[in-house]
Amino acid sequence: MSLVRFQACMARLITDPDFRERVRSGHLEELAGDLTALERARLCRIASDRGLDINRTLHKGFRLGKLRAMLPLTCEALGPGRLTREAAAFWAQHPPTSFYFISEALEFCDFLAARRLRGVYLDEVIAYERAALALEQPGANEPIEHAVRFRHEPAMLLACLAARRRPRAIPRRDCTAIGTRGEDGRAHWRLVDDG
Amino acid sequence: MQLLPKIGVGLAFQAPLRSTVEDPGDDFDFVEVVPDIFWTDFGPGLSPRHLDDPEGIALLDRIRRDRPVVAHSIGLSIGSAHRFDIEHVEQMRRWCERFRFPWHSDHLAYHMAEHAGREMNVGITLPLARGQQTLDLLIPRVREVQRRIPAPFLLENNVYYFDVPDAEMDEAEFINALCHESGCGLLLDLHNLYTNARNHGTHPWALLSAIDLALVGEIHVAGGMELDGFYLDAHSGTVPEPVWELLEWTLPRCPAIGGVVFEIFGSWVEAVGVERIRGDLRRLKRLWSRHQLGAGAKLDRTFEQASIR
Repeated sequence: MSLVRFQACMARLITDPDFRERVRSGHLEELAGDLTALERARLCRIASDRGLDINRTLHKGFRLGKLRAMLPLTCEALGPGRLTREAAAFWAQHPPTSFYFISEALEFCDFLAARRLRGVYLDEVIAYERAALALEQPGANEPIEHAVRFRHEPAMLLACLAARRRPRAIPRRDCTAIGTRGEDGRAHWRLVDDG
Repeated sequence: MQLLPKIGVGLAFQAPLRSTVEDPGDDFDFVEVVPDIFWTDFGPGLSPRHLDDPEGIALLDRIRRDRPVVAHSIGLSIGSAHRFDIEHVEQMRRWCERFRFPWHSDHLAYHMAEHAGREMNVGITLPLARGQQTLDLLIPRVREVQRRIPAPFLLENNVYYFDVPDAEMDEAEFINALCHESGCGLLLDLHNLYTNARNHGTHPWALLSAIDLALVGEIHVAGGMELDGFYLDAHSGTVPEPVWELLEWTLPRCPAIGGVVFEIFGSWVEAVGVERIRGDLRRLKRLWSRHQLGAGAKLDRTFEQASIR
């Protein structure tokens, strides 16, 4: 049992910088319980090991890389500084669970949406990319349709972000994009103007 | 260790290498794939747990028409103390039957842990405490893998940027004991070994001299890069000369080896260039011919023919 806990603590030293800092600075309350004295001593030494910084860098790079790959437009709309900050805030609440990051990307979209971040186009981009990801995820069957409300011309907005340009002065267009999953497993969209 | 066919020099598949893999010429003899990238894993206990990617399967079928495919998985986390992932082993069994891998491998490490009732995936391979307790955990698991999957099973020596202190055993003792007692082979990653030696101030030759090289079923080579005072196993370039020296020394001393594989991450392929990658593969083939075929062994064409039926 203590090996289970030891491995979990070692993993947390990488994923949770606050935990690492507490262990490094001698606040060992969280290491109380079923760990052996040897395991506690090992964790204390690992917490101060410079090699852990490299593991932290690799871990963050791996996780951020997955978000960039799955949500390229949202990441572009956020910009690098805000992406890093929001990802850190998200990760503090959501430990990584799988190599397959679709659920993490969907949760990140929900997290961002709930934050109500400032940005003229941001909510439209997040909603669109979340819907596309949900439609295209392997094994997805339901729901068969996703509707995304836009207040700006979707084609111009999304093309701008896909070209890695900051969108500016995108014309107003109140419309709804209806996404369905095609037989090829890809999302297919049609636009319906509101009103 | 179970007998491996000698299939030569392999290239580790990455998406930007697709055209190279589909048009190999004479530069390499087989392809190594990470099977986990060709399926989606919905998580333990879910049904179905794994969903195969039809496009990936079609690609593997195309590759197999020309040459063998070897599986190098990243998903087992065999050193995780909280659970042994039998469902992953079963998925590998299905794939080994489907693709007739001459052998399959995974990493001597863990990346899954349990915290607050949830599984956590660190996404990088973490070192195991080298001692009897860990051997007692690993040996029955390796035997279970071998009981379920007839193809030979190898475990790869890990790269680590910190080590678990106060180990009961050194790395060679640990690897030798694990392989001898469980029956698995060693996937000897020379770039991991070189990286560890550089970062921890140890001597790669000392470790190589102490490992029982009769256990080696496969060798990995790769390139790396510096970051913040560490040398990284980044798979970011061609093979550095010190790793070639390690390979020159090691290859003739591995009587049971089935192949040598060059690894590079897809994001580095464009920067390094396919021609330089092919250059390293050709150099590997010259070494293979000199040290493995020259000793009377022959490239296992019998296996190749069998595997592509």
